[in-house]
Amino acid sequence: MTAPAQQVTCPACGEPLAAGAQFCEACGASVSAVSPAAVPGAESPLDELSPISTPTARDLGGTATPAVAAPRACAECGSPVGDDGYCTVCGSKAPSERDHFEQAPASWVAGVCDRGVKHSRNEDAMALFAEPAQGGRAVLIVCDGVSNSDGSDVASLAAARAALEVLRPPLPKGIGGAASADAVATRVLTTAADAANTAVIAHTEPSSPRPASCTFAVGLVDGSTVRCAIIGDSRAYLLPDAGGGTQLLPDDSMAQALIAAGHPRLEAEASPQAHAITKWLGADSPDVVPRVATVTAGAPGWLVVCSDGLWNYASEPDALRAQLDAAGTSEPLALASALVAWAIEQGGHDNITVALARVGPVPAQDAAPVSSPEPVGENATDDERQVHG
Amino acid sequence: MAEFTAAVYQNEFLPDGGTDVNAIVSVTCTGAGTAGQGGSAAAGEIIIIDTSGSMGVESMEAAKQAATAALAEIVDGTFFAVVSGNGAAFLVYPAVSSGPGMVRMTASTRVEASAAVAQLRSAGGTVISTWLDLAGTLFASVPEVQQRHAILLTDGENNERPGVLQQAIDRATGYYQCDCRGIGVDWKVAEIRPIAQALLGTIDIIPAPGQLRAAFEAIMRTAMSRGVADAELRVWAPQGSQVVFVKQVSPTVEDLTGRRTVVNDLTGGYPTGAWSDESRDYHVAIRLAAKAIGQEQLAARVQVVAGGEVKAQGLVKAKWSDDSALTTRIDQQVAHYTGQAELAQVIQEGLAAKAIGDEETATTKLGRAVQLAAETGNDEATAKLRKVVDVQDADTGTVQLKKAVEKADEMALDTASTKTTRVRKS
Repeated sequence: MTAPAQQVTCPACGEPLAAGAQFCEACGASVSAVSPAAVPGAESPLDELSPISTPTARDLGGTATPAVAAPRACAECGSPVGDDGYCTVCGSKAPSERDHFEQAPASWVAGVCDRGVKHSRNEDAMALFAEPAQGGRAVLIVCDGVSNSDGSDVASLAAARAALEVLRPPLPKGIGGAASADAVATRVLTTAADAANTAVIAHTEPSSPRPASCTFAVGLVDGSTVRCAIIGDSRAYLLPDAGGGTQLLPDDSMAQALIAAGHPRLEAEASPQAHAITKWLGADSPDVVPRVATVTAGAPGWLVVCSDGLWNYASEPDALRAQLDAAGTSEPLALASALVAWAIEQGGHDNITVALARVGPVPAQDAAPVSSPEPVGENATDDERQVHG
Repeated sequence: MAEFTAAVYQNEFLPDGGTDVNAIVSVTCTGAGTAGQGGSAAAGEIIIIDTSGSMGVESMEAAKQAATAALAEIVDGTFFAVVSGNGAAFLVYPAVSSGPGMVRMTASTRVEASAAVAQLRSAGGTVISTWLDLAGTLFASVPEVQQRHAILLTDGENNERPGVLQQAIDRATGYYQCDCRGIGVDWKVAEIRPIAQALLGTIDIIPAPGQLRAAFEAIMRTAMSRGVADAELRVWAPQGSQVVFVKQVSPTVEDLTGRRTVVNDLTGGYPTGAWSDESRDYHVAIRLAAKAIGQEQLAARVQVVAGGEVKAQGLVKAKWSDDSALTTRIDQQVAHYTGQAELAQVIQEGLAAKAIGDEETATTKLGRAVQLAAETGNDEATAKLRKVVDVQDADTGTVQLKKAVEKADEMALDTASTKTTRVRKS
């Protein structure tokens, strides 16, 4: 971990910041842009993960750019937001950057992480990576902080980011053959879960009576190969445009235990203990080895990794597929935003995170070279990304 | 350099469909310094003494002593003047008939002014509008005086057609501040209170002439400690909302709602006058369009502006919740001052009813007053009420009007009705 000498304080409220923190735990202010010391080294790979509140976020370069340069516009009425965080005209509270952030690392991958309605803070977290062209590699990570644990909003974000660092490099190919590749992938995903768990514990007060904990859901895309790893009840769905979709792995939850015992799914998910998870990341977790699954996306469709803030309202793959269709867009960020908005309309009882990637055969007219190993850099232009509508 | 702080007390949680947000904003000023000493603007003091024929020998002597004592409290360098009033207003000091009507206080002007005061004789009627107008003219004759304060002493009923005094009050409103004192029991609280309220001053009864000197000294000492010449309370409320009211609730209840001036489309300014090192509390009520459960918005930005600068800001918030444990809680400060504001109102209404012989209404209103004074721990109001009514049960507000009441006690209850107590620290 970072040496204590590098301890810095939040420029907004003065509270101490955890090493590498991108948000202030006390006030929710984004500190990545204004406090480079919080992320030692300008080349820190975390920089490009800085959540940005504007929907057109395209901060994909290696250097941090100020997330808040001009006065923000109010989400309700478009007027300037005041220094006190409220709109100067309609008074609406502007969401903090921890409460709502969006990422679109490539034209075919995007995600939205939102506080929802009922919860006072956003304990969901998300971390994404994608190569520029569809058909390349993408990593989608969602961690849902457990709301009755302390500081799970900070821990969940740290977990998602730690896992992403493990999964960002291309997986070793192994000694050849699918079985070998699967074994390597399982090992790396387990390592990612372990890194996430370490990050959670690093953000937990040793004396905490309710140590921070969170779920762990990863979707990995590499060409037509889709892998997923799950701990807890965040989910990965593979939803082809035509035909039935699937939830790639079952939950680690009481509901799932009831389903396994023969209860109908909807009944099990409505039971009082349904949302109690049986596995999680955190200091008090007995087991942080994820379930892992690998499938091949043979047809065009979407990989969706989400927290229960979304699937509570559309648990069955077909129900979720219907909401994708209802959104009426195939632009990933617009689609993720639409799904979050829909969950808020349904009541927004929990934090909502939706990360998705376009999968399946690449349409002929903009097929990118499969061998493109270049990660998205500063040279990626808007045009390149808008090709893939 | 004077500093202000603002603290907000409220329950920001509203139930589903809830629209009304109440908050107490407690404003505290420190480092105010001394009147007229802070910067470019000079301070001015005018002492207005009633010299109408009704002022008896004892009262007249007391008034002269009190005026002299007040002169002693005025800090050297402060501009001042002394005015006597009966059927018309006269400039007692400085003895000028044109040009600036105020002079700076020095050792010699203090002696000269005291000598002039000693020559005052009582005669004639009482036309208070002329007194207020002369004070305004005198202040205007010295443009560098930017902090303007007067003390007005009267002993009798104003002899003017209805409305004439009000017009003079209107001319003075926003131009100078004025503390009012009535000596004896022949003056009318209802006549003098509008002067004090409009001119951001206090009102009190001086039942016996011997108490006047100490009262004048205290008023002038307070005036001299007001190193902040003028401050404005600004209330921003969101588009589409309504500012239901803005009241000062401590140290006295003063409804400022109608005193609003437009700062911009969403912001109103309310006068608070000059400040010493002190705390004042304001009750702000805002009506919003209800939002969905879980949403939060700002209901008001309450700012203190002095010398063109925002010195402090308090935020009044609204959060809609379906948790009734949160939404049904009433903030202690809001509850306390809501009770105190009602206390002021029922005392005044009860005494007005009693004055016209409506004993039933008077009994009900003053009974409620006794109840509120007990509930909110206003011991001064309780003590004054007990001189006007016999209390059978304070908890239920059961009282009987006393058969014989000292007029001075009734007037003291009336003038003190707007005085509030702060929340007791439990």
